[in-house]
Amino acid sequence: MAKQLMKGCEAIAEAAIQAGCRFFFGYPITPQNDIPEYMSARMPKVGGCFLQAESEVAAINMVYGAAGAGARVMTSSSSPGISLKQEGISYIAGAELPCVIVNMMRGGPGLGSIQASQGDYFQSTKGGGHGDYHLVVYAPASVQEAIDLMQTAFDVADKYRMPVLILADGIIGQMMEPVEIKQGNASEPVKKDWATVGWSEKDFTRPRAVVNSLYIEVEELEELTGRLQARYAKIAEEETRVELYNTEDAEFMLCAYGTVARICKTAIAQLKKQGIKAGLVRPITLWPFPYKAVHDAIAAPSVKKALCVEMSAGQMVEDVRLAINGEKEIELLGHSGSRVPTAEEIAQRIIQMRGA
Amino acid sequence: MKRYYVLIGNFGSGKTEISINLAMKAAKTESAVLVDLDIVNPYFRSAERRKELDKAGISLLHPVFAMSSVDIPALPPDIYSVFVDSHTTVIFDVGGDPAGATALGQYKANFSKIPKEALQVLFVINPRRPLSSTPELVLDMLHRIKFRSRLEITGLINNSNLAAESSVEELLDGYKMLKAVSLETNIPVAFTTGLKQPLEGFLKIALETGLDSRYIGTPMEIEIFMHRDWDRFTEFGI
Repeated sequence: MAKQLMKGCEAIAEAAIQAGCRFFFGYPITPQNDIPEYMSARMPKVGGCFLQAESEVAAINMVYGAAGAGARVMTSSSSPGISLKQEGISYIAGAELPCVIVNMMRGGPGLGSIQASQGDYFQSTKGGGHGDYHLVVYAPASVQEAIDLMQTAFDVADKYRMPVLILADGIIGQMMEPVEIKQGNASEPVKKDWATVGWSEKDFTRPRAVVNSLYIEVEELEELTGRLQARYAKIAEEETRVELYNTEDAEFMLCAYGTVARICKTAIAQLKKQGIKAGLVRPITLWPFPYKAVHDAIAAPSVKKALCVEMSAGQMVEDVRLAINGEKEIELLGHSGSRVPTAEEIAQRIIQMRGA
Repeated sequence: MKRYYVLIGNFGSGKTEISINLAMKAAKTESAVLVDLDIVNPYFRSAERRKELDKAGISLLHPVFAMSSVDIPALPPDIYSVFVDSHTTVIFDVGGDPAGATALGQYKANFSKIPKEALQVLFVINPRRPLSSTPELVLDMLHRIKFRSRLEITGLINNSNLAAESSVEELLDGYKMLKAVSLETNIPVAFTTGLKQPLEGFLKIALETGLDSRYIGTPMEIEIFMHRDWDRFTEFGI
């Protein structure tokens, strides 16, 4: 199929449909509105269900129900709306159900602004809701990557029976890029014998399926969290993704994710013209965080200093510092308040670090 | 004669870019006013290019909270002035989809007083945009937008493009699409728009292969005014 010119939000919605998602429950908020808008037009045409819930809380609980019944289901929102969904996300994690959640981040805290931001890193990777759980968190840096990660997100959600989050800044949602969406490329649906689909006349023998996140007995809850932690360890081993860019012989290592990583690449090109070798380590999964790859990139003997660039007051930088564990100093260039860092500004900072 | 252009179409089909280009061309010889009537997209609007428009001597009217990050679809009363003022070219850059076209409805009485030959209601089509890839999808959108706008569509615009990756291929596909839509609706093709290179390439092929000029309309070279910030800061793809 010919390439299409798509906004990130539209592309994510279409990619979800191509991945076999047939249920979308959401509530409007800028800058992710193009996702429900697109879904409202497309879902009825593919025999799916689009429903605008009465609130974010309702939407995530509809996702909970559909996921429990074994459906490929998703919801999307932007920062304040994702905050509202946290209780439901924790319940879905506790009930071990697969679903995909998209957060097109905007400025915060509070209602913040409708401009792009990366201020929800903590919320996404360190819990968000209550209890001992994680989400797999993917951070696309282009519209095409967002498309490709949607299929992965649904597959990983099903494989590990857990919610998966696509964490993109509002720029990814709003920018238009030429992209290709493969049609009819959906993976085979996995068998969900745990789904609450009822007994059929043919099979009264299957075990009763129960969707539950309440464990009164201490031992039972510990068994659940133990099972989850074992799963998380396996995911950290098998699903961690990272991109290394110009890291060979780099004197300065940048660390960034999402749109900011692309800005860093422009900065790297500018620095190259001035004879300064800079590289980039870009986490694609924010959880599991690529601790080893980030460590190895920054700990390399050629690297003098490292700079973490974020559209936040400094959130991912904590994981970068954990990764390097004091071996080297990590500086931060962080903008909150929805300001987008420029390539010139990043290059200038590296030049300053070089002089210092 | 005072002329009115109304640009409508799918979300992201290129209405704003074409509106600014039309205004810039008109402003060379005429007194032009551009009305940013977009009530659906708080991000990309002609009001962002106020500086360039001012420089070209183009007047600009826009929703009250445009460019403030406040998402309130309120239109200022002074928009009514363009129907009576001394400008000689009036361009309406309307929001996308039926939702955006709704903003036109309230001006029905004003539009109905304009002589037929002075009003062009142009439906912009980019088949490379989602939900626009077949004539059926475009026709469905065209009828729904027309209904909401309360105006008769007088012309189609072939704006088939893939932004920076645009080539002749897009315009050729667009030609086929617009021919189908034009035959179905009896609405003529008013313009074929494109960046210099793809447009020239398309016109050459059109001449060589004998494409029907009725489905090409007037060729209009587009200059990009609506550079997005990310064109610069994300020049490296992933």
